Amino acid sequence: MAFTLYSLLQAALLCVNAIAVLHEERFLKNIGWGTDQGIGGFGEEPGIKSQLMNLIRSVRTVMRVDQYFQKLKAHSFKI
Amino acid sequence: MQPGPGGGAAAGNARHRKWPMKRRVPLSEPSLGDPHQLFHDTSSAHGPGSYVAHRVPGGLGYSSPLQPGFLDDPMSNMAVAYGSSLAAHGKELVDKNIDRFIPVTKLKYYFAVDTVYVGKKLGLLVFPYLHQDWEVQYQQDMPVAPRFDINAPDLYIPAMAFITYILVAGLALGTQDRFSPDLLGLQASSALAWLTVEVLAILLSLYLVTVNTDLTTIDLLAFSGYKMIGGVVTGLLFGKTGYYVVLSWCCVAIFVFMIRTLRLKILSEVAAEGVLVRGARNQLRMYLTMAIAAAQPLFMYWLTFHLVR
Repeated sequence: MAFTLYSLLQAALLCVNAIAVLHEERFLKNIGWGTDQGIGGFGEEPGIKSQLMNLIRSVRTVMRVDQYFQKLKAHSFKI
Repeated sequence: MQPGPGGGAAAGNARHRKWPMKRRVPLSEPSLGDPHQLFHDTSSAHGPGSYVAHRVPGGLGYSSPLQPGFLDDPMSNMAVAYGSSLAAHGKELVDKNIDRFIPVTKLKYYFAVDTVYVGKKLGLLVFPYLHQDWEVQYQQDMPVAPRFDINAPDLYIPAMAFITYILVAGLALGTQDRFSPDLLGLQASSALAWLTVEVLAILLSLYLVTVNTDLTTIDLLAFSGYKMIGGVVTGLLFGKTGYYVVLSWCCVAIFVFMIRTLRLKILSEVAAEGVLVRGARNQLRMYLTMAIAAAQPLFMYWLTFHLVR
C-alpha cells in the first residue's frame, strides 16, 4: 500500500489550494456560504455550518496574505 | 486534602461546572527533580507514594577505556579534555533550545510509566468489559502521571506498538516470501501517514463541533496509537480463520475501550453519567464519539489485511 507521507503532503497542499481558489461570488453565495451572510448574533452555539464558514474564510484570509504560497505551489508541481 | 465526592453524587450542581469532576487523591507530589534529566529512574523507589529522583550521572566523567596506558600520552590527554568540553558545550546548547521545538516536559508526563501500568493497560485494551471506573484522577488541576492511574493516556504503549507492528509486518511478509527491505520503510511511513490523517480528522471534527474538552493533540495521538496493539496481535497469526477471529475480538474490544474513554471527555458531564440528555448538541457529540470509536476498528482492519494471505 503505497500511501507515503509525501503523498499526504501533496494531498494537503492540493486541498489548501482548492480552498484558496474558491470564487466567492460565483459559488459560495449561491450555496449560501458567503462571508457576509450568517455571522449571526452571539448565540450560545455556533453550529457546524457557521464554524465551517469561519474556517474557510480564515484560510482564505491567510492565503491572501501569503502570496508566497502560490509561487511555491507553482514551483513544487514542476518537479 | 481529603478525597472529594464521587462523580455520581453531585449530579444536581453538575450543570454549572464546565470541567469534569476531579477527584483529589492524597498523593505526595512527585517532584521532577533536575529539569535536564530525561527520564525518571524508579529502580529504587519505595512504594507508590514516595518518589525519589536520582541524577543520572552525566556521561562525561570517563572511566578509562580498555588499555591501561591510554591516558599517559599528554597529547591524547589534551584531546580528551578538549573533546569533552566541546561535548558539554553542545549539550548545553541543545538543552537550551530543545524546548522551543518539542515540548519536552509535556512529553515526559506521557512516558512516566512502569511495568505494572503497562501490564494492566494492555489487559484493559484487550478486555475492557469488566473495568468499572474510567475517570482520570487529578491532582491539583494536573492529571496524575500514568504510573499512578490506569486511565491516563500514555505514549509509551503506542510507540512500542507501532514499532512492533512494523517488525511483525516484516515477519508476516517474510513468511509469505514477499519481503524486501524497502517494504519495511514503506509500511512504516504508510502507517504513520494514516495515523496523521486520523488525528487531523479528529482535530477538525472536534473544532467543528465546538467541544470544550481538555483533550490535547498528544492525547489524541496516544488514543490513535492504541489500536496498533490490535494490529500487532492480529498480525502474529498466520492463517485466515485465526486472523479473522482475533481481528473481530480486538475490534470490538477497542471500540468499547474508545467509547468508554471518550465518553467522559467529550460529552457533557450529565450525559456521561448515563442520563439521556436531549438536545442537538449532545446528540452531535454522541455521534462524534461513536464515529471516532468506529474509525479505530476500520483502521485496524485496513492496516493489517494485506498481511494475511
